[in-house]
Amino acid sequence: MTFDLTRRALLALTSAAVLTLPAGHALAEPGAWSDEPVRIVVTFPPGGTSDLVARLLAKHLDEAFGQKAVVDNRPGAAGTVAADFVADQDADGTTLMIANNAPFTIAPTQFAELPYAPMTDFSHLAYIGASAPGLFVKPDSGISTVAEFVDAAKAGSISYGSSGVGSISHILGEAVDAKLEVDTLHIPYQGSAPAIQDFRAGVLDTFYDMVAQNSEMIEDGEAVAIAIAASARFPGVPDVPTFKEQGYDIVIENWVGLTGPAGIPAETAAKIHETTLAVLALPEVATTLNELGITHQPLSTPEFTEFVGTQIDVWKPLITAAGVKGK
Amino acid sequence: MDVLANFSAGLATVLQPETLMYCFIGVFLGTFIGVLPGVGSMAAIAMILPLSFYLEPTVAIVMIAGVYYGAEYGGSIASILMNIPGTPSSSITCIDGYPMARQGRAGVALFVTSIASFGGGMIGMIVMAVLSPSLARLALQFGPAEYFAVIFLGLIAASAVSNGGALRGIAMVVAGLMLSTVGIDLTTGDLRFTLGVPELRDGVHLVIVAMGLFGVGELITSIRANREGRGRQEIDYAKFYPSAREWRASWGPIWRGGLIGSFFGALPGTGQTVASAVGYAVEKKVSKNKDQFGKGAVEGVAVPESANNSATQTAFIPTLTLGVPGSASMAMVIGALMIHGITPGPRILTEHTELFWGLVASFLVGNVLLLILNIPLIGLWVRLLQIPYRLMYPAIIVLICIGVYSLNNNVFDIWMTLLFGVAGYLMRLYRFEPAPLLIGFVLGPMMEEQLRRALLLSRGDPMVFLERPISGGLLAISALILIYGLWVTLRPRRNITTDDTSIIQNNKPSSNTGASS
Repeated sequence: MTFDLTRRALLALTSAAVLTLPAGHALAEPGAWSDEPVRIVVTFPPGGTSDLVARLLAKHLDEAFGQKAVVDNRPGAAGTVAADFVADQDADGTTLMIANNAPFTIAPTQFAELPYAPMTDFSHLAYIGASAPGLFVKPDSGISTVAEFVDAAKAGSISYGSSGVGSISHILGEAVDAKLEVDTLHIPYQGSAPAIQDFRAGVLDTFYDMVAQNSEMIEDGEAVAIAIAASARFPGVPDVPTFKEQGYDIVIENWVGLTGPAGIPAETAAKIHETTLAVLALPEVATTLNELGITHQPLSTPEFTEFVGTQIDVWKPLITAAGVKGK
Repeated sequence: MDVLANFSAGLATVLQPETLMYCFIGVFLGTFIGVLPGVGSMAAIAMILPLSFYLEPTVAIVMIAGVYYGAEYGGSIASILMNIPGTPSSSITCIDGYPMARQGRAGVALFVTSIASFGGGMIGMIVMAVLSPSLARLALQFGPAEYFAVIFLGLIAASAVSNGGALRGIAMVVAGLMLSTVGIDLTTGDLRFTLGVPELRDGVHLVIVAMGLFGVGELITSIRANREGRGRQEIDYAKFYPSAREWRASWGPIWRGGLIGSFFGALPGTGQTVASAVGYAVEKKVSKNKDQFGKGAVEGVAVPESANNSATQTAFIPTLTLGVPGSASMAMVIGALMIHGITPGPRILTEHTELFWGLVASFLVGNVLLLILNIPLIGLWVRLLQIPYRLMYPAIIVLICIGVYSLNNNVFDIWMTLLFGVAGYLMRLYRFEPAPLLIGFVLGPMMEEQLRRALLLSRGDPMVFLERPISGGLLAISALILIYGLWVTLRPRRNITTDDTSIIQNNKPSSNTGASS
């Protein structure tokens, strides 16, 4: 601890000296912050959204700013394995992670004990964006609004597929049940793809999943998204109304951000923040994020940190309601 | 006609120098990584995935597919030479491939593997080219009840592959099923049988079970049996080529395996493992050479290799046309496509015609490349067997430890592997086949998931399995096989005992007949 403090103090001193040299903006310029390749830890196995975002970031950090970066997948125990690992690494900006709901928003409520503190053990550096799930029904179901869904659910038993117990789609399903005062039958799957397959095959009445990623199904008339759980409509699917618009206050978004261990020196943190935002602003990156259904907002570091903190409280009652607790 | 025109257009794409080169890199790398114990197609694809982001989508998918089936093929090499299956499906290949190697017929086994994989791959490719849309529709006919029935059939078939009779096979399958319940309950999220050990939260990893039961278990058995050291095997290159009899014997199994494999491959998730188990069980029933199965029958190598390779090709059908990945490897294929802005789904056939047909054609090119690559390498692989045990065993142990450690970067997993190694040794001692256990372990979670889902959807009514025609039919077939198997095992008691002793003699590693021949 003492060592850590002295080192941090030393770094602060040297950086203060460096910062006085270039006059003008105290803000960091985008650019490489480490001679070593930066490790970007991903909480899931390769192939998912977090992984794609990490690889996109790694590629463009190198191409645009010469910052080498490698993606390190450390899946397991709902992302807590990866978060625990990152919390213990050197706070020099060489180990970062793609933070998301699983270890930072859900796990603090879901697990009785966590090996890390979601706020104090980390430096939350840059907000990348959020995507939102929605409620999908069959085109021939005669349901096109949330109000009609409520009527149908009250008239008979409706089943819904989710991406798994404790997944964002399950939590949305439980939130809908609670807010709309209906009782639907939850059928968990491992990921959304098999759930959608069973929906297509007529096994499921409805399913919850990320809206933007299913825009093709919507366009092809195979499914109707009657509401999205976002604060505003998503530009990629402008015809899908929000729950809010229809009078139901349900906002559940899947966010991703860039986070590192606590104690990253201020000027390194600023540099990482600026560089990440610069990468996210590249047209190619923006297009891919849009395809992934992620809406980016350039939050400042304090704003992002506050956001992570509030998310834990926002989700707490939802997770408890979903019954994913006590492990 | 349409198919032919599309296929030749695809072939033209693949034969471009760049695509051809990456296809070669794919199968080459896949084979070599697949040979390493504990490192399968998933690790191989994860390694190559970042590179694929810099390539054209078609080139990328051709390369990744090459890695995928190359690794499946490489896994068979390790199964035959060292009794270490690279994938659960190649654990079936161990049953006859390893005895062949011990009899000095490793070269023949590898040769047959190459030919059978090629044959199976071609059958799978033709099925994919001609039947993709209809197979995708078939997969949509399969709800939870049907999946449960298919998996149940696969498990019954797996218990039938065992040499000690149906009861031993069933016991092993059930042990595998029980083992697979460790970890998070997928339907409720509760922890089961984790004994308070956080490392068991996600269950026991497949690689740990496979490497322990087969790899480490085999090493312990061999050390005990070969204390005097192994006589060097003479390498006779003429012996690499199957005899006329062996050729004839392989022909039928390759066809049957290929067709069985193409069907099961199209069902996401269950694909290769069910395909090789069912293929082997069918072959064991129809073959004129029944009594040789488990003792080094060439059919017993040809059938699972053909089946799992054709299933490997048709596994791309649900992945691409439905967007449903059957395995972690296939999930990475989807990830690779998504980063190029291609969302797998029903539209891929019309919107990305070039990519789809390029991939289909690459199966032909890739499998030919595998053949060209591997036939000359058989001599090299067989020569591995000449390495003295005192050098080879430590090397295998190190490779297993690295492979297992790399799963989660966790030392706990290495201890687990050792534990399963001891279990594997005891199973060998008491003549239990590890392959059905592994298959039960792999299919167990899927079967449980589908069973519970079907019951949830039917609101608890078990009749759903019998009322639906496909699942009812599959369950009826399973019941017939099961009753027949038990009847054969339990009735002629005297025959069973003599049969058992002959198996012990043939399977006992200490008999060492292979080394001297």
